[in-house]
Amino acid sequence: MSQSNIQSVEGVEIEETKLKNSKSLWDHALENIFRDKMAVASLFIVGFYALISVLSATGVIAADWAVEVGPSYSAPGADYLFGTDIFGRSVFTKMIKGTEVAMSVGLVAAIISVCIGVVLGSIAGYFGGKIDELIVWFYTCFQSIPTIMLLVALSFVLGRGLVSMYVALGLTSWVNLCRLIRGEVMRHKNRDYVQAASALGGGHSRKLIKHIFPNVSHLVIINFSLMFQTAIKTEVILSYLGLGVQGRPSWGTMIDDAKLELARGVWWQLGAATLAMMIVVLSLNILGDALRDALDPKLKGK
Amino acid sequence: MKKFTTLFTALAILVGFASCTKKEEETGKTLNIAVSADIKGMDPIYANDRYSSNEVGRVYEGLLEYHYLKRPYTLVPNLAESMPTVSEDGLTYTFKIKEGVLFHDDAAFPNGKGRELVAEDFVYSIKRLADPKLQGLGWWLLDGKVKGLNEWREKHSDLPKVDYDEVVEGLKATGKYTLEFKLTKPFPQFLYSLAMPFTFATAREVVEKYGQEFLNHPVGTGPFILPTFKQTKKVVYTKNPNFRKKLYPSEASEEFKAAGFLADAGKELPLVDRVVVNVIIESQPRWLNFLKGKVDFISIPKDNFDSAVTPDRNLSPEYKEKGISLLINPSLDVTYTAFNHDLKLFQNADLRRAMSLAYDVKKSNELFYNNTSLPAQSVVPPGIAGNIPNYTSPYRGPNIEEAKKLLAKAGYPEGKGLPEITYDCPSGTVSRQIGDYMKQQLAQIGVRIKVVTNPWPELQKKITKRQVMLYGIAWGADYPDAENFLQLLYGPNKAPGANGSGYNNPEFNKLFKTASIMQDSPERTALYEKMNRIAAEQAPWIYGVHRQNFTLRHSFLKNYMSTDFETGQAQYLNIDTKMKAKAVEKL
Repeated sequence: MSQSNIQSVEGVEIEETKLKNSKSLWDHALENIFRDKMAVASLFIVGFYALISVLSATGVIAADWAVEVGPSYSAPGADYLFGTDIFGRSVFTKMIKGTEVAMSVGLVAAIISVCIGVVLGSIAGYFGGKIDELIVWFYTCFQSIPTIMLLVALSFVLGRGLVSMYVALGLTSWVNLCRLIRGEVMRHKNRDYVQAASALGGGHSRKLIKHIFPNVSHLVIINFSLMFQTAIKTEVILSYLGLGVQGRPSWGTMIDDAKLELARGVWWQLGAATLAMMIVVLSLNILGDALRDALDPKLKGK
Repeated sequence: MKKFTTLFTALAILVGFASCTKKEEETGKTLNIAVSADIKGMDPIYANDRYSSNEVGRVYEGLLEYHYLKRPYTLVPNLAESMPTVSEDGLTYTFKIKEGVLFHDDAAFPNGKGRELVAEDFVYSIKRLADPKLQGLGWWLLDGKVKGLNEWREKHSDLPKVDYDEVVEGLKATGKYTLEFKLTKPFPQFLYSLAMPFTFATAREVVEKYGQEFLNHPVGTGPFILPTFKQTKKVVYTKNPNFRKKLYPSEASEEFKAAGFLADAGKELPLVDRVVVNVIIESQPRWLNFLKGKVDFISIPKDNFDSAVTPDRNLSPEYKEKGISLLINPSLDVTYTAFNHDLKLFQNADLRRAMSLAYDVKKSNELFYNNTSLPAQSVVPPGIAGNIPNYTSPYRGPNIEEAKKLLAKAGYPEGKGLPEITYDCPSGTVSRQIGDYMKQQLAQIGVRIKVVTNPWPELQKKITKRQVMLYGIAWGADYPDAENFLQLLYGPNKAPGANGSGYNNPEFNKLFKTASIMQDSPERTALYEKMNRIAAEQAPWIYGVHRQNFTLRHSFLKNYMSTDFETGQAQYLNIDTKMKAKAVEKL
């Protein structure tokens, strides 16, 4: 095992960086990303969405989403950018307010799931033995429960609302990351640099946090962006099913409304919600891919 | 007994006709009916849903029925010779039953010939309903009401065999054709229970011969015969050749006279030779069958409403050309938003009134019912005694000014001091939208609402356990008597009874207690109206609407109207075969 490690790709990489005046993995990554125009555009779009959410959360924009601006079901046009809904509210404002929900759910759920995944994964990978067995057993059991059923059950237990949405989505999406981290930590824990750290008297936590974690953190970043978009999609599905956020617009509830409205030819709620969701999910996917290209040493040069 | 329905229950019970082959069309009049749910079986005592009871009503008959062409709904004798004589104290009902009524021919009878119906058959059938071993689903109807019947039921629940020969004091055949009921207390709605399929006449020989299989061997006295019932998608009834001479009514309410419902007056029933019932569960196949003329009438599926009905409540020309016509009938129901009166907050009548005034019912009718419903002024729907025609509740919104004044009077100027009020409703898009609308409306006067959606069983549980503040729900009639609606506000009926809101007004309770044991009379109607007025002025609920049924029918179907009590309707329907041949070509 240790032999193959010495000849691993990363070893080669370290030599390479030395030659080019010690450029770090992160410098490379940034360079690669900025070279990729699609990735930059995606990053920009995601940033724009984040900005909108912050503005809407602070009440600068879309605070008046509940106000009736015109007659029911006005078609999109000069007066109403994306038309109006059943109560004559602006679909455009609702879409923006929905962005806030989607982005916050994506962010918080991804953070929760990353925390759980990283902690459990690194503990399992690093300590091995009984602890590893226990954690592996736990997540295997956990994953055998169909996610959507688990989500529904959790939303019943926690009640409805934004907070329970964060928790439910966070709690159901950490297993994949946990697996990856566990494997990666296992590979790293016997490496020379970790052994050097222990030779210098580093404790478990020092080795794990200070030495191993930075070397597996690219996995976290890649997974974070993918989890982000999964959480957004799941939030939409749950809201569509009536299990999501209550009392405020969400893309899911907009699509739920639209399922009845379509029979009378009202397509703009569906259109607005889907468009908004499609753009952000696509951007996050492209960004995730670009991050993987940039950060995963195995893909270097491909 | 509980017939709660969700607010958005679509006008969903679709009945129609599916055509037969050409050859059959030539031989006679065939009625093809489509129903939207599987039929449970043909035993009257288990017919507790609309689908089974309609089928039971084709084969079996009861003492009484609703006059087909009279509104408000009026009970008339069916197997009874005349309406019963009721004793002074209102406790003893004596029926004279028709002589010479024959059961359908069946192997269970001597020589296979149907025997004559006697009073003892009703005694037997009603005892069957009370039979503890059979667990009939309609027992609630007579529970505690007939003298000695409860005792009989309890006694036999422990015995190995139920003895039908033991005489029950309150249920006796005093002669071959006379039947006597003795009640434990006055119960004027008793007669309605004799028009419900639960109490229809069955023959003892048949039940005993088929045993468990009786469910599939209906033998009644009714207009149609079904030799055996099989759980299939198509049930075919034929005309009963020995049906007694029963004539199509020659009297009718004005509205039916004007609509030509008397064209068949005096003709012998049934008017068609065959009834074919098709079970089509999905609404779209049912709709398509209707459009092809294979289904003669259909309640418009929600998804097809906009294509079938123009915004001004007319049928779209496309369908008009095909000879289809649109029938709009109010249904006996009321939708409402109830306050939980257990909470101190809602014992404040001015707060309730203010909230009721802030709610724009006309707009909600427009948004959620395609403008097809009638805004409810109080609890009793139009069409039954107790509803006050042209009455407008003083607290029927929208009147934001007045609402704000009342809110201040209630002690919450501009909504200050009010907690956030939760509104529970079933999950489902329309229910959620109705909740959002309530929220929006009440926000105008500063009342904050939080909409909580629940699955249907969970909502029911929450209401029973009093864990709600406001909730949106509806009620459909069991029988055409205001009592069935007013009991929703009767204090002692508090949850888990039908009064989910827990409204308890001593004055109302007293009136209800008096009226509920009175026979139908102008005095009782006056009491009902008084209660109805209290129910409007005290605003124990925010009233919603009385919904309407939108039904389409083909030109060749005669005498059809949508009714709240469909049992036995098939015998009055007629098919114009010539017109059908022509109309089908156009479809």
